[in-house]
Amino acid sequence: MAPNSGAFLSFMSQFIIQVNGSVYGSFASVSAFHFCQAALAQGHRIHKVFFYQDGVFNANQLTCPASDEPNLHQQWLTLATDHNIALVNCVSAALRRGIVSAQDTTENGLQSVNCAPQFTMGGLGELITGIEKADRLISF
Amino acid sequence: MKKISILFRHSPYGNAASREGLDLALLSASFEQEVSVIFIGEGLLNLLPNQQPQLSGVKDYIATFKAMPLYDIESVLVCEQSLAQLGIGINELSLDCESASAALISHHLTLSDEVLVF
Repeated sequence: MAPNSGAFLSFMSQFIIQVNGSVYGSFASVSAFHFCQAALAQGHRIHKVFFYQDGVFNANQLTCPASDEPNLHQQWLTLATDHNIALVNCVSAALRRGIVSAQDTTENGLQSVNCAPQFTMGGLGELITGIEKADRLISF
Repeated sequence: MKKISILFRHSPYGNAASREGLDLALLSASFEQEVSVIFIGEGLLNLLPNQQPQLSGVKDYIATFKAMPLYDIESVLVCEQSLAQLGIGINELSLDCESASAALISHHLTLSDEVLVF
């Protein structure tokens, strides 16, 4: 380790991100995504992005913008894979809005699945335990 | 344990912000966080008694605000300026609340670990 790495680490923060805006139509999720990119580029850590309220629409794998537009859903998946970030939906907020995982489909007798498998369904408790673990919560 | 402040700034009608904020407030408290709730602007309309939100086609979550003391959420602040603007007296609200100046609310937020706005 470089002699100054300790000093570098002391400036590093562990963030949890909360996204409350939809995948399209609100700028909240885009801003959250840009914040994540900037924070990671500066050496900070993001262990979890928690999607609440309309944020759960970011998990919709049927999101299908025109080819010359950004696909924010896909961008979240890529970021999460590249940086080992957990993408967690509030399951209650998601089910109310028709965002359903394979398990939800089975349990509720539904006919299709639209939640990308990279997004896990969790409770609000996952947000709280994430807040306890992180240095700072950033909400969008 | 962290000190979490949850702000309500939206009317109970027109969007689901307050309902989902309340869910988070109760859940946070049940996870043994030190939770404060603060009502600002139209958010304090959540605390008016005798509402029937089910008539507008949504779940009556407003009654659930009364459960906050059971979850040990004892710090309930309402913005005194908002009370004045909306012409509502502190005694007209359905919960025991503390009327707080903008400066006091601001100070309270600086003492919080995290602030969530609904």
